[in-house]
Amino acid sequence: MIALVGGVIMIIQYFVPHRISQDVFNYYTSWGPIVATFALILGVGSVTRVHMYKIRMKSTNWAYSLAVILPMFLMPVFALLPGSLLGGTDGPGFFDFMYSRVQIPIQATMFSMLAFYIASAAFRAFRAKSLLATVLLVAAVFVMLAQVPIGDLAGRWLPNTGQWILRFPNLAAKRAIELGVGFGMLATSLKIIFGVERGWLGGAGE
Amino acid sequence: MNFWEKMLNIDRRWIYLAIAIIVIVPFFARMGLPVVPTREVESIYNLVDSLGPEDAIFVGWDFDPGTEAENQPMGVAVLRHAFSRHVPVFITAYYPLGQALAQQAVGGIFDTRVPGNYAFVPWTEWESMRAAGFAGRDSLETAWTAAGHALPEGARGWVFEGVDYAFLGYQPSFYLVILGMGTSIASQYPTDTNGNPVPEMPILQAHKTLRDVDLAVTLAGSTTCMTWVIYGTSRVGLRVAFGVTAVMATDYFPYIQSGQIVGMMGGLRGAAEYEVLETQGGYTDVTGKAYRGMDVQSLAHIAIILMVVLGNIAFFAGGFNKKTALKARR
Amino acid sequence: MYETIGIWVAALFTLAIYSFLYKENPLYRLAEHLVVGTSLGYSMVISWQRMIYPRLVLPLSRGEDWLLIIPAVLGLMYVTRFFPKIAWMSRYPIAFLLGTGMGVAFPYDMQALVLRQTQATLIPIYTPGAPWHEILGSIVIVFGTLAALIYFFFSKPHKGLFFGTGSKVGIWIIMIGFGATFGFTVMGRISLLIGRVQFLLSDWLHLIH
Repeated sequence: MIALVGGVIMIIQYFVPHRISQDVFNYYTSWGPIVATFALILGVGSVTRVHMYKIRMKSTNWAYSLAVILPMFLMPVFALLPGSLLGGTDGPGFFDFMYSRVQIPIQATMFSMLAFYIASAAFRAFRAKSLLATVLLVAAVFVMLAQVPIGDLAGRWLPNTGQWILRFPNLAAKRAIELGVGFGMLATSLKIIFGVERGWLGGAGE
Repeated sequence: MNFWEKMLNIDRRWIYLAIAIIVIVPFFARMGLPVVPTREVESIYNLVDSLGPEDAIFVGWDFDPGTEAENQPMGVAVLRHAFSRHVPVFITAYYPLGQALAQQAVGGIFDTRVPGNYAFVPWTEWESMRAAGFAGRDSLETAWTAAGHALPEGARGWVFEGVDYAFLGYQPSFYLVILGMGTSIASQYPTDTNGNPVPEMPILQAHKTLRDVDLAVTLAGSTTCMTWVIYGTSRVGLRVAFGVTAVMATDYFPYIQSGQIVGMMGGLRGAAEYEVLETQGGYTDVTGKAYRGMDVQSLAHIAIILMVVLGNIAFFAGGFNKKTALKARR
Repeated sequence: MYETIGIWVAALFTLAIYSFLYKENPLYRLAEHLVVGTSLGYSMVISWQRMIYPRLVLPLSRGEDWLLIIPAVLGLMYVTRFFPKIAWMSRYPIAFLLGTGMGVAFPYDMQALVLRQTQATLIPIYTPGAPWHEILGSIVIVFGTLAALIYFFFSKPHKGLFFGTGSKVGIWIIMIGFGATFGFTVMGRISLLIGRVQFLLSDWLHLIH
């Protein structure tokens, strides 16, 4: 019901640019992010529950759960500490240290491991088994060579062909997919507003 | 097990080692291959290059640390370009950690121990000059230097917080923030990340809503960049440029052709192109991290292509396309 | 000193993650868990600093805008999720955000993703003075998009001149598109590795500048 009323009001306000509808919209853009922020409580609560359970039960590898719980609740404490705790008098504090020297490097490195996996997959899995698979591989090789400076050594025709593939056939394929996605999103919006799709409730209170 | 089968069943850790060597060694033998800018990047560069102190741009740090290597150099390049032309910049973030990454980026640019950087003047430090009345950037800089402040050696210029730059930072539900900024930027950001009052800043008084902004460059590692197009471009006609990871770049060519986005930096290569244009334009003396990575990128691509070719040779020469399935071994 | 410690810690965690490539090990697992906790902790702090304090607590404590009680109460309803008897209340903030979000998005999605994209496909194929590859490109955009759409249209059997040939051309176009994406994916993955190697060789070991 809330979803229906909210959704319909918001669609109407787009088409009726009246002062009242504008006021409603301004309240909405101001309140919405506030409500959304509280969703973080769900994330923190769930993670705490799962890991505290593991610690209490002393289940396998429970000690790692401490590595989740401790920094999670210590970060707000670190944020309150004065900045001069590490380093010089006005150096960044432990809070900055935790995200810039622990969080960011770990996350960046985790993603960079994909380079190794894709190399392994290139050797083991990409086979020109059929004509269409060959088309895919040839297009990939052209684009890969066209995107790096070494491709220029073969002459401008190579990067030019690579750019042509990107700007035209690739564009046509992606546009067809994006149009499909666009229609899908519109259909999903309507389904949620009119209560046909209720998976987002997640079974709460049922 | 014959030769081809052995080859295809090679321990994957050998492949990992090969990639590690290919990515490390070229850093010690610089080739300096030229990077030729594409029109997708040139159009962003030219637009920023046409702006001045009376205009303003947004740079959205809309990625998280996972794609830092690709997105961060793009942001640094655009910021340097804007700072040297005194184009006012608003910095926002789609994710909490995007704010942290933006902080790292500006921290690097404002580190005057390194030549070619910019000297940062915090909002609170030029309070006395503000009290006397703000009459434009030029007079502020004159008053600031007249007050005995000398530009550190090697620095390219001053960046005044609140005039040249406002660090707005993270807000949740960013689509609502973009919609809200269509009416009032200050309503979404009453304070900046340093706790300074955003509505009092000259940058805000000259650019109250997204309608007064000339360009938004969104740096993204996911579809977050589309939020700017769907809500910014469609609602207030905001011009948007993308700085996206290579994985996503191919998806956005339709939006360049439709005119919905100004241009696109795709992956590290896109960042390298911007760096090259900036050096050619005289805004930096040396190209940045992205350009330096391009030699390695070249060799790594050749290596991956060779792996695909070798894998296929072994597969077909061993006759695995016709006969029994390959016996898998780790 | 601060910087040196920081770089060493960052480098050790970088190597800890890479150690997984050889074999799963406790150091890797520690780093993997730390990242979850630190990330949530950081988000809590930033959400307080950027949103809850300046946009909710401060205006309420100054008595500037009492209506802010409404989003605050709605937001707090998320907490009821942890109490089975009143968990139904947590549906309200979700319904509010999702319903209004979908309502807001509908016209903008329609405009940005469907109308403008369709419009940009309906372009003149021949422009006087255009080079041959641009003209060929325009043909590919118009007919290639149509063919790829036909391929995705499963309500009719892919037979005959229109649906049969169309879907065959369509799959070729799609495969070229996927090939381009694959090429770019390789590029992106390698770039991420280059970023970390640059950090290790330059910031940590000072071997390159």
